[in-house]
Amino acid sequence: MKVEYLPHTADIRMRITAVHLQELFHVGIIGMGNILKEKFCLQDIPYDRKLKIEITASDPTCLLIDFLSEVLSVSYTEKGIFCKVTFIEFTPTKTIAEIYGKHVYGFDEEIKAVTYHEADIFKNKDGHWETMVVFDI
Amino acid sequence: MKIYKTDINKITDYIWEIPKSFRPAMRVPARVLASEPLLDDIMGDRSLAQLVNVASLPGIKGTSLVMPDVHEGYGFPIGGVAATIFPEGAISPGGIGYDINCGVRLLTSNLKRDDIKGKTEALSKELYAQIPSGMGKGGQIRISDQEMDQVLLKGAEWAVEKGYGKKEELEYMESNGRLVNADPSLVSAMAKKRGADQLGTIGSGNHFVEVDYVEEVYDETIAQAYGLFKDQLVVMIHTGSRGLGHQIATDAIKQIISAMPKYDMQVPDRELACVPFNSIEGQNYFKAMCAAANYAWCNREIISWEARKAWTNIFSSNTEPLKLMYDLAHNIAKIETHVVHGAQAQLIVHRKGATRAFGPGFKELPQDYKTVGQPVIIPGSMGTCSYVLAGTPKSEELTFGSCCHGAGRRLSRTAAKKQVNAPVLQEQLKEKGIFVTAGSYKGIAEEAPIAYKDVNMVVQTVSDSGIAKKVAKLHPIAVIKG
Repeated sequence: MKVEYLPHTADIRMRITAVHLQELFHVGIIGMGNILKEKFCLQDIPYDRKLKIEITASDPTCLLIDFLSEVLSVSYTEKGIFCKVTFIEFTPTKTIAEIYGKHVYGFDEEIKAVTYHEADIFKNKDGHWETMVVFDI
Repeated sequence: MKIYKTDINKITDYIWEIPKSFRPAMRVPARVLASEPLLDDIMGDRSLAQLVNVASLPGIKGTSLVMPDVHEGYGFPIGGVAATIFPEGAISPGGIGYDINCGVRLLTSNLKRDDIKGKTEALSKELYAQIPSGMGKGGQIRISDQEMDQVLLKGAEWAVEKGYGKKEELEYMESNGRLVNADPSLVSAMAKKRGADQLGTIGSGNHFVEVDYVEEVYDETIAQAYGLFKDQLVVMIHTGSRGLGHQIATDAIKQIISAMPKYDMQVPDRELACVPFNSIEGQNYFKAMCAAANYAWCNREIISWEARKAWTNIFSSNTEPLKLMYDLAHNIAKIETHVVHGAQAQLIVHRKGATRAFGPGFKELPQDYKTVGQPVIIPGSMGTCSYVLAGTPKSEELTFGSCCHGAGRRLSRTAAKKQVNAPVLQEQLKEKGIFVTAGSYKGIAEEAPIAYKDVNMVVQTVSDSGIAKKVAKLHPIAVIKG
């Protein structure tokens, strides 16, 4: 699994790739968590927050964006960063997941939103799942 | 989509047009308001491809437009205006943006530049102490669910009722600081939760509170009407509806994407998702957007109260309180009447990174601005300068009564961080008499002057094109950032 941050005039463009579709969602929250606080999700984290979230959407791309949006919203209300996810149910249009995070005192970056712009999950030439995610900063 | 200069027709020295024939999906031509050097600069990112996409919005009238400060966004470009026919034309949350009613206000004082000598650093620190800022941080004011509904309904009036502002100030805010269509019952519990502790906070990114002095007055008559004079100290505030607005936009775009097939609406980018304004989903979003706009006006009113506390703590309590010159939104949708192809039409005007710039006689203006036109406040970047302009009838003719909202970004945050040594920049600005107080060096680097276009060029373009008139130039002294 891989996260790359690419140039954008005002916002943050992130390209994520993973072998499995579920894994792409996990890479997504790690990539987002590391924007909220630099390298936060790369360390061993003693999680102190666990939440269950349920998302339905019309296709896998919307499911991913809506999933990341929900994780972002609870990051602000819970004042924490979520780096781990386990799936109770996962289909291309529905997920029930448990997310794990840790309390933080403020963020390095304030993400206003996870946008649908340029988001399009596809299988790349290596046979891995890939998409771009643009964050409004 | 690649756009070449040969695809663009020159209409005047300041108006450039991509014709409707450029793409089959375009319903109207796409126009850029810019001088030629700025147009060349704009062609460096994907702003124009995004502008062309906006021209395909269902019900769009006239032209899709961008201002000289435009830069690439995520769907709609930042610095754009799109007007759709009322009531069945499209409303698109992406055309307003996630930071609903992000806006700017200017407070004037009776003090002059000399009065701050030896106190600038202390004032910076006091403003930083009084005005909560920073990433995802809350403020000192906590409101209950019932009070939140009142904030969403009443906007700046709520702050006035609670003693944070003055009643006579309300008329100096766009729409008197309150949109009457707001419906708090259409705002999600998550949005209300995110907004519960953020009133009176500026947040981070490009949001700021800044102390400036009036460096130059270009039009004495209008400056006098606005209460501006040379060397005067003023305070500028730039922020919006915080997490509450971000959540309302997020909720709406998700709902509208699902609803689009019902109305057979198709757009080239999901961030342009739209529904008819008069549909249930369109109305639900519009009423929630109005609620977020009201939250933003209330927020800027409370920040003004915090700034006033800092002001009197540093100067004396006998000092005349800071007075609101004007407050205007630059991420909002409004129902307005404009002339399109020679006939009056009621339109849903989306402004994303663009402000209103109405000329003299506009009915919403306070009595003392009626003959001179609406104030347009253009923040530059820290370390350069800002401007106060006045709207003109020409803006109503050319840009649906709109103007640019700032200098406009030209460098990505990553590129800015690579090029800027923040501690050195902070020291260099201090040597120039500009005190920057920020939560992090990263924030200073990302918002460095080099990351922005030349605000002087941008303002000269809008002035030369006739859509706004230069009134005064402001020079920064103290900048507070998250």
